[in-house]
Amino acid sequence: MTAQASSLLAGRRRPVALALFLLVQMFAAVFFVGDAIADVLEGDVGPHLYFEMLVALALALGVGLGALALRQTLEEMKAQDVALASARGALGDVIAAQFTAWGLTPAERDVAFLALKGLDVAEIAELRGRAAGTVRAQLARIYAKAGVSGRAQFAAWFVEDLLGEGLETEPQHG
Amino acid sequence: MTESGSGLSAGLSPKGQATATLPRWDPLLRLTHWGVAGVVLGNYALTKEGSSVHIALGWIGLGLLALRLIWGFVGPAEARFASFSPNPMAALRHLASLARGQAPHYPSHNPAGAMMAYALWACLAVLTVTGILMTGASPMKQAELEAAVAAGDWSAVVEEGGDGEENESPGGEALEEVHEVAANLILLLALLHVAGVAVESRVMRRNLVAPMLVPRRRRR
Ligand code: HEM
Repeated sequence: MTAQASSLLAGRRRPVALALFLLVQMFAAVFFVGDAIADVLEGDVGPHLYFEMLVALALALGVGLGALALRQTLEEMKAQDVALASARGALGDVIAAQFTAWGLTPAERDVAFLALKGLDVAEIAELRGRAAGTVRAQLARIYAKAGVSGRAQFAAWFVEDLLGEGLETEPQHG
Repeated sequence: MTESGSGLSAGLSPKGQATATLPRWDPLLRLTHWGVAGVVLGNYALTKEGSSVHIALGWIGLGLLALRLIWGFVGPAEARFASFSPNPMAALRHLASLARGQAPHYPSHNPAGAMMAYALWACLAVLTVTGILMTGASPMKQAELEAAVAAGDWSAVVEEGGDGEENESPGGEALEEVHEVAANLILLLALLHVAGVAVESRVMRRNLVAPMLVPRRRRR
């Protein structure tokens, strides 16, 4: 779809694309200004020179506006990162508090975190240097302590928490 | 997407901590940095003095410098001159604290690095301006000239009077002298600059080069 086509100017690579574009524009501006100055020094004044000056001016304005646009993009991305990080931190706190409430052991906490991050049994086992059977047993204890049936419900537990406010607004029966 | 691995890693990745307080250089700053480094080293080691490639690289250097100077006023905080104003005393203090192994972190360049950056830019400005004055023609003029010659019209060269090998004007010698001194100076400074980066990276165990190469989110 359009995702491919627009990814260059919309995604994370946008600042790089803008910076490259600015660079090319700056080279052109410098060349035109240099050429215009050379013309003036050589007394080569005429329509040719005025046209060159116009182009140089347009390019210089383009560089200035492009630089401002790039700054704005960078600031927006920085703000997004901060928001994301604090959301992440807040969710991390919520999860850690809940693990404590369920009485997970330190080893179980680690496994539970990794499970929430979407790692499967084999990956967790490898990361922690334990046998797959051990991890499976730990996961079973974690689900039991959390009172959920399995991984999907375990993850949903926190998603529900995240959406909590939204769910409250639904009409409640009984 | 590329974010998949970083979901809840906030408290789980101690590795990210070491670089957490280093400035995060934006793409334009990184592009101009490596462009300038490439131009300086290229014109020192690869191109023949006065060749058209040498001249073209010089113009590119001027463009990079101009863009970086504009960026020093409109760029993000860590790229702006205001956040690393020249202060020789602070630079000396920074070097002293580095010698004691306790150089603090700064939101932008450290004071010694800032002095170096200004010195390098000043050298580059002198280099490009004297270089352009020596050749006396913009690349477009040069190209027109070459095209005319290629088409068999040597009158263009004759009109210019000499081919620039020898400068008849009295200022030519001085320009050349200044160009050469600035070239040697910038190489010396660049050497010191890289040495400084290496020393601080080693002594303080902070990788200063990585933020100059890739944005943090893609470093792991
Ligand atoms: C001729 C070669 C070079 C020149 C002229 C040069 C010039 C500069 C300049 C002007 C800055 C300031 C950047 C800015 O604010 O825009 C800078 C910063 C920097 N350069 Fe270079 N550089 C050169 C080579 C290198 C090399 C080879 C390396 C890597 C080993 C390097 C690593 C760095 C780093 C890490 C910074 C940021 C320092 C900090 O953290 O404050 N440079 N350089």
